[in-house]
Amino acid sequence: MWIPIQLNEHSAEPLYHQIEVQLRALIVSGQMPEGTLLPSIRELAQQTKCSVITIRRVYQDLENEGLLRTRQGTGTFVASVDDEARDRQRRSAVLEAMESAADAGLRGHFSDEELLAMLREVLRRKRELTGEAQIPSGEGS
Amino acid sequence: MNDAAIAISGLVQRRANFELGPIELVIPRGYVTAVVGPNGSGKSSLFRLLLDLAKPDKGRIELLGERVGSGEDTALKARIGYVPEQSIDIEDGLRGSQKADFVRQWYPNWDVNLYQELLRRFEVDPALKLGKMSKGMRRKFDLALAIAHQPELLLLDEPSSGLDPIAWKMMIEVLHRYMDRNGRTIVMASHIIDEVKRLADYIVFVVQGKVLGMYEKDALLDGWQALYVDSGGGAAMDWTRMPGFLSATVSRGTTYKVVTADAPEAERWLAAEEANVRLISKQKLELDEILLFHIEQARGVL
Repeated sequence: MWIPIQLNEHSAEPLYHQIEVQLRALIVSGQMPEGTLLPSIRELAQQTKCSVITIRRVYQDLENEGLLRTRQGTGTFVASVDDEARDRQRRSAVLEAMESAADAGLRGHFSDEELLAMLREVLRRKRELTGEAQIPSGEGS
Repeated sequence: MNDAAIAISGLVQRRANFELGPIELVIPRGYVTAVVGPNGSGKSSLFRLLLDLAKPDKGRIELLGERVGSGEDTALKARIGYVPEQSIDIEDGLRGSQKADFVRQWYPNWDVNLYQELLRRFEVDPALKLGKMSKGMRRKFDLALAIAHQPELLLLDEPSSGLDPIAWKMMIEVLHRYMDRNGRTIVMASHIIDEVKRLADYIVFVVQGKVLGMYEKDALLDGWQALYVDSGGGAAMDWTRMPGFLSATVSRGTTYKVVTADAPEAERWLAAEEANVRLISKQKLELDEILLFHIEQARGVL
């Protein structure tokens, strides 16, 4: 089974971390619903050109978070994700992206106002592109 | 079941112009381990010692839990597949099919269907004499022979030498499929960086007859980074205190390129340093650059 994980070999981000973030996003977003059978550790290692040690670590971490469960002899499956966990995960994925954006901003010596203006500009463009209306502040779920 | 596919201790082989060892090395079962090093570093000598094709002056080798060199080893060798670096010239006059007929007698687990399928996938004509096969075809034939008896341990010495890119891809696929069954082990010597990246779980560096370290591949590639750090022009930094420090050079002005083998710790160390020291960017090293560091280190030490 193939799952849409794209690694950036040149990113300084550790490989296990890149895989973990993307796999978590696939599960939390519901793209991989409860009960989905994941590829074997060796299969995913081959697909991502990572070692089986890395993939085992990712499965272990996500199992500890309650997102995956392994049934002896049958394989690793997506576990049920409750709403609270989903919300927490949804938030942490965005926060992580924002942290790296903030890092880039601070490196370039931008002020908070400039950075916020950039974020607003990007949001406006993206929403225009997808035709999505702006969500008024304070009403986000 | 023993967890080591290969266990080597105190291994020394002395030759007039070359000394291998002393080597201490344990290669785990169930993984792909790449032995990486420059030409003449002793990789092929090591493989020959593993198979009892050469005798060590000292030390002990165990393959799949059995001691090598203790006499009758037909049963042990039936569990191993080996592709040597060079094909054997004296077989040039044999047809592929003749060699296969000879080889299969020694392997109770010989799987004729797997053998036929591998020949088909590799597009090898077994009716040809071995000496008339192209280098690539002969390599593929050797590989098919080494896998057809479903060995637990596959020893490959430069498996892709002579293969064109299509055959190379096919080989990677075949080796991936070989590993699908639990408990199987590949140990391969290679200096093709892409091949090591695609196949290996562990990497062993061998330089000038010595093992310089065994690493989990991704941890190695994640850990070794060049950090570009602006020292802020303050007091001279003692970069050697950085965790995993390997080298430091001036990149431009007050910016240094510092290479570390432990990037996460090095970053933490930098963050705890004075405020005017700033990490500008970081870059993972390529496997060949990491190998080069090991070679230079070995030369410095020896």
